[in-house]
Amino acid sequence: MSNRPSPLHFWRWFDPRARQVGTWAFIINRITALGLTAYLFIHLIVLGQLALGPQYYDQFIAFAKLPVVKIGELAVLAAGIIHALNGIRVALTGLGFAVRWQKHMLYSLMCLAALGIFVVFVKLFLLD
Amino acid sequence: MSSIRWKVTFIITRQRSKSKCYQQPFLLEVDPDEYILDCIERIWAFHDRSLTFRHACHHSTCGACGMRVNGVEKLTCITAIRSVTQDGGTVHIEPLRNFPVLSDLVVDMSTFFLRLEQVNAATVLPLQEACLPGEIKDQPVIESGQYERLVDCIECGLCISACPTALTSSSYQGPATLAAIQQGCQPGNQPFQILLADHEDGVWRCHSAYECSAVCPSNVDPAARIMNLRRRILTQHIRSLFSRQPEEAKNE
Amino acid sequence: MSLTNKPHVIIIGAGFTGCATAHDLALRGFDITVVERGEIASGTSGRTHGLLHSGARYCVNDPEAALECIEENATLRKIARPCIEFNGGIFIALDESDLAYADSFIEGINSCHIQVNELKPAHVLAQEPNLNPHILAAYAVPDGAFDPLRLALAFAATSKENGAHFLLHHEVQELMVDGQGNICGVKTWDRHADRKIDIKGDMVVNATGAWAGQIAGLAGVRVPVIPTPGVMVAYNQRLVQHVINRLNVPGDGDIVLPQRRMSVIGTTSFTVEDVDYIPVTDEQIRLMYERACALVPAIRQAHQRGAYMSARPLIGSSVQGRSLSRTFKCYDHQESDGVTGFVTITGGKATTCRAMAEKTADLVCRKLGILAECRTKEMELTSYRKFYLYGYS
Repeated sequence: MSNRPSPLHFWRWFDPRARQVGTWAFIINRITALGLTAYLFIHLIVLGQLALGPQYYDQFIAFAKLPVVKIGELAVLAAGIIHALNGIRVALTGLGFAVRWQKHMLYSLMCLAALGIFVVFVKLFLLD
Repeated sequence: MSSIRWKVTFIITRQRSKSKCYQQPFLLEVDPDEYILDCIERIWAFHDRSLTFRHACHHSTCGACGMRVNGVEKLTCITAIRSVTQDGGTVHIEPLRNFPVLSDLVVDMSTFFLRLEQVNAATVLPLQEACLPGEIKDQPVIESGQYERLVDCIECGLCISACPTALTSSSYQGPATLAAIQQGCQPGNQPFQILLADHEDGVWRCHSAYECSAVCPSNVDPAARIMNLRRRILTQHIRSLFSRQPEEAKNE
Repeated sequence: MSLTNKPHVIIIGAGFTGCATAHDLALRGFDITVVERGEIASGTSGRTHGLLHSGARYCVNDPEAALECIEENATLRKIARPCIEFNGGIFIALDESDLAYADSFIEGINSCHIQVNELKPAHVLAQEPNLNPHILAAYAVPDGAFDPLRLALAFAATSKENGAHFLLHHEVQELMVDGQGNICGVKTWDRHADRKIDIKGDMVVNATGAWAGQIAGLAGVRVPVIPTPGVMVAYNQRLVQHVINRLNVPGDGDIVLPQRRMSVIGTTSFTVEDVDYIPVTDEQIRLMYERACALVPAIRQAHQRGAYMSARPLIGSSVQGRSLSRTFKCYDHQESDGVTGFVTITGGKATTCRAMAEKTADLVCRKLGILAECRTKEMELTSYRKFYLYGYS
């Protein structure tokens, strides 16, 4: 088992025995960032398709109403909310403000995020 | 210390240099108030003389005995058995992460020490400079001269071991070095240290995991110092944007 | 092992004695290999109280040691400044017995030329509010506190800069003997790689302190070292800035010293047979706690951070324990036992490690017919971190 630092060791970030919430926030920010970036490409591809003609618009709406796509949308919005709110915390503490309250900020912002995600869920699945 | 005795199994991750690592269990009778390092020393003295480990002062001033206890970085000379396990329990002992292992629990911390040396990390400072900023008002005010003390950072390496960025990047300066830069620099001074800090492998590589401050046994609070250093560096940049002369003088 | 024409000296033990001797001999132009079964200062040296003695403690009962201390105190402050917290020390008298000691104390201190100032108790309490308020008399002396590992590392780093090699985690198991019965090297066990390594040398220096008797036994000679441990307890608050000593004959638990954010109380004195592991007992910790509270009552609000024990190497005679001199001794085993190629240096205190090294290096030079002056009194030690400059050994 090599102990030298290496990017290939990133899976060790997930060792739960020694992790502070700060690291989980870092991991979640990374994953949501990757997810949002991937979404951005998909979004651009879809937009490109729509530009090809009006018949593609109806196809797209039918596609967008599929449950799996709605779940995907929920995931994207959740990722966006979490990333944005944690991002506020990272921006503030990363410049030396309120570092002492980084954990408090994380907990309260994630509660806000949960609330936001719940609202999105209701709008997507319960109201039509 | 009391006369209670617990039976605790220590599972030590062992390795001869350049060989595969393996785990070796040792069953010990321990006093729950004694320290992990005492038990490791007993294992060496009475069970297996081939066990290698680093230690010197046994009271958290030398920083030599850092290891991972049940996966968490600890200074084993001040970690009581009671705080990590119970009667009949198991304690996993592993070497620190992110340093090459020489054998068993001994890791090679040369790069770490050399980074600190490169930034001239202070070893003894006046009380008002050695403490955390929030503690300055509690320091004794003396009539003549100043009291000094050895600084908080005992160079134990627990912060590097715990840092997820140090896990994946060998060029990252690390929390201890950046904290030392923050402690030693006045704004505008120490341009070399600021150059090292204001760099992609310096303060900007930190991703706010805060593991370092959580495991530091010595009140250094490296995370807060890194963030404070960022603020100072940015303030310097902004100031130099608005006052042309220093820039021009630099360019001459 | 020696690739040059320089004589090769093997030093067993990398505590204060071994590291300081390596530094002295390296400066005098020798090829040095230090062999240590543990880490730098992982034996007695690491677990020393950390008191940079002014010598005042010994000025009455052991003036020889006191004189050594005050001289080396000044030297270490010059050559190893980064390892030392120098805030001075105070001797306080808390009862009649202490007061009665004051006269001989002042006499002793003056005859040893140790700087001393009498302080008014009110003045002391203003500077050190956490002290026992019933101070009857107080004297300021130039005591300090040092970091044990870093002091040893500073000597080691400087010697490495001058070409010394360190083989840590190498345990000496036997001494090499040539056809004529001279000691010509050491047989070691490299504990990292679990293999045996033989090292030849022109002289072997036994600098193993409390283990000196054991290692001397490998050469078939006797060194009268009496391992005499003492317990230290560290509390998690820095309650005093000066080193606080009880004004009386040296006894148990009469020194509290500050170090980083801690206050460390020490110590006791008793003899043991097995030096490899000495347990800390409840009664010793309780005794230290009581004595600490007598000097600094605020310790009651602090928590124990660490408790540890290690063995002083006291040089034996018919006298016991605290009355044994704290001074050091070099043994030329050719003279005393007819064994060539082997010397032992043991005894002493951390504060006098440089002087011990000087005497040892003088002896080694004499035996090998080398004329070289000691330069360690003036030369500032390099940064201790530079020990790792050439990779970890």
